[in-house]
Amino acid sequence: MEEGKPLTRRDFLRGTAYGALAARFPAVPGEQAEAQAKAQVVLIRDERVIDESGRINPNVVQEMLDQGLCRLMGEENPLQAWKRLVKPSDVVGIKSNVWFHLPTPNELEQAIFRRLIDVGVKKANIGIDDRGVLQHPVFKASTALINVRPLRTHHWAGIGGCIKNYIMFVSSPWLYHADACSPLGTIWSKPIVKGKTRLNILSLIRTQFYNRGAHHFDQRFVSEYKGLLMGKDPVAVDAVGARLLQLQRVAHFGEDRPLDQPPTHIFVADTKYKLGVSDLRRIDLIKLGWMENVLL
Amino acid sequence: MRRILPRALEGYQWDGKDEFYDFNTAFRYMDGAAELYRSYHFKLLLVRRYVKAGHPSILVELFDMGSSEEAFGVFSYQSGEEEVAIGQGSDYGGGLLRFWKGRYFADVYAEKETSDAKKDILLLAETIAKNMRAGPKPNLIRFLPKEDLMENSLRYFHTHHVLNHHYFLSHENILHLGPKTRAVLATYSPAPEKGKTRLLLVHYPSTKEAQKAYNHFLQTYLPEAGATEGPVKIENGRWSAAKLHQRYVIGVFEASSEEEAKRRLDATQRNIGGR
Repeated sequence: MEEGKPLTRRDFLRGTAYGALAARFPAVPGEQAEAQAKAQVVLIRDERVIDESGRINPNVVQEMLDQGLCRLMGEENPLQAWKRLVKPSDVVGIKSNVWFHLPTPNELEQAIFRRLIDVGVKKANIGIDDRGVLQHPVFKASTALINVRPLRTHHWAGIGGCIKNYIMFVSSPWLYHADACSPLGTIWSKPIVKGKTRLNILSLIRTQFYNRGAHHFDQRFVSEYKGLLMGKDPVAVDAVGARLLQLQRVAHFGEDRPLDQPPTHIFVADTKYKLGVSDLRRIDLIKLGWMENVLL
Repeated sequence: MRRILPRALEGYQWDGKDEFYDFNTAFRYMDGAAELYRSYHFKLLLVRRYVKAGHPSILVELFDMGSSEEAFGVFSYQSGEEEVAIGQGSDYGGGLLRFWKGRYFADVYAEKETSDAKKDILLLAETIAKNMRAGPKPNLIRFLPKEDLMENSLRYFHTHHVLNHHYFLSHENILHLGPKTRAVLATYSPAPEKGKTRLLLVHYPSTKEAQKAYNHFLQTYLPEAGATEGPVKIENGRWSAAKLHQRYVIGVFEASSEEEAKRRLDATQRNIGGR
């Protein structure tokens, strides 16, 4: 694979797409932290999280968050796990997502909020926001961020995941739409977020695995997967998420219908911006809980 | 645009709060999804809600696309659902109706899908469509060979993002597509056992730009073709080829045979005409 050569359909047919991407986006020395050699991502599922009337059960969400985080941090007790992520003196922004068709579930936001209070963070030092983060006093003064949003396909970025969720930390989001949103990784080096992210969570309670319609939303392509995906590495979490959406499309349609855009920004966040690990072979996926139709 | 939409119909009433969005403000209404409509040079979006006691609200999103070519283009971005004979082309599925007529493209959907909702949506859309004047599809379509063409596979667009949505070619813009290029992608299915062949026809503003794009495309996608027009047997055993003709680049992708690839290139060139 020649360095700088564009990735094409033929690379995928050859099975050399990953190598092609790596060659296309060489690392920038000194930019962001060194990528981890291997990343850990925890998937936890619980079939009770959505009840028969479609409501999300907050108690089950709390259990899932606690169990998943304990496993991720190698702790027995959720408070011990959270204490390794945040200090009582931290000012913590919970970066949520308000897209009205599929927002971050309030139950999940509150489960995080509760544990931050439990470990001693002052209520006044916790903020939950999405589109107003640039004006929000907590986010402006934040020392720690928790990044949480639902997993979905996205018209211009391929998928809407943890990396994409920080687009509201810039004043002109559309400037990051070029080349399938591949510059998204640069946002993570802005002072308002750089080095602050302690945990990345993709809500898989409901996932949108395919787009249709004016707003690129169609209820038929929303799956009740009933899971959470979490990790310290946003790129690894997104890479696993992208793979899940692909497998959900195959399961639903019997074939892999293409995304509007390939989620190039995930690979670029790894290979160019060194935000984390995108190569699934280097991601240790730990699966907990309900395993029916887990796909991954 | 307001005159196209009825104020009331079958017990549904306009809620009196129209919203308008233009090329620069559409993001406020639909976030990143606005990029699609912007890529088709849309002029104005009118959003109107209809309410009726005991029924879910119906939302109409009416896009003035500036021309019937662009309206067809944005409609062609997604299809494959039920054709319900509204406007010049329609697609109904999952409670959402999409249709185009003349310079307008519209989405009509109920906020909650019910058994009555489809009937109400179709009736409202039919009334709206009657207030629109029809217009032609993009000229490029007439250059496509008709043999084995899947009519509902036609896609008209300007950018490589949209091309990739239909047929991923490269994450980079190797054909130099952009606001000033016009492109149509069609699928051909000679027989089920022969699989599907794609034909891409791109019109450039000048022969110089067409030449430049053609050279870049050959270099990055079909380097084996060298100075010839192919066809080239690619990794899955199928055949791809490209040809430069005047201001046009013609590409055939994944044909079942070398002969088929060449035949479709030549037929397109003949339809365009000239030397």
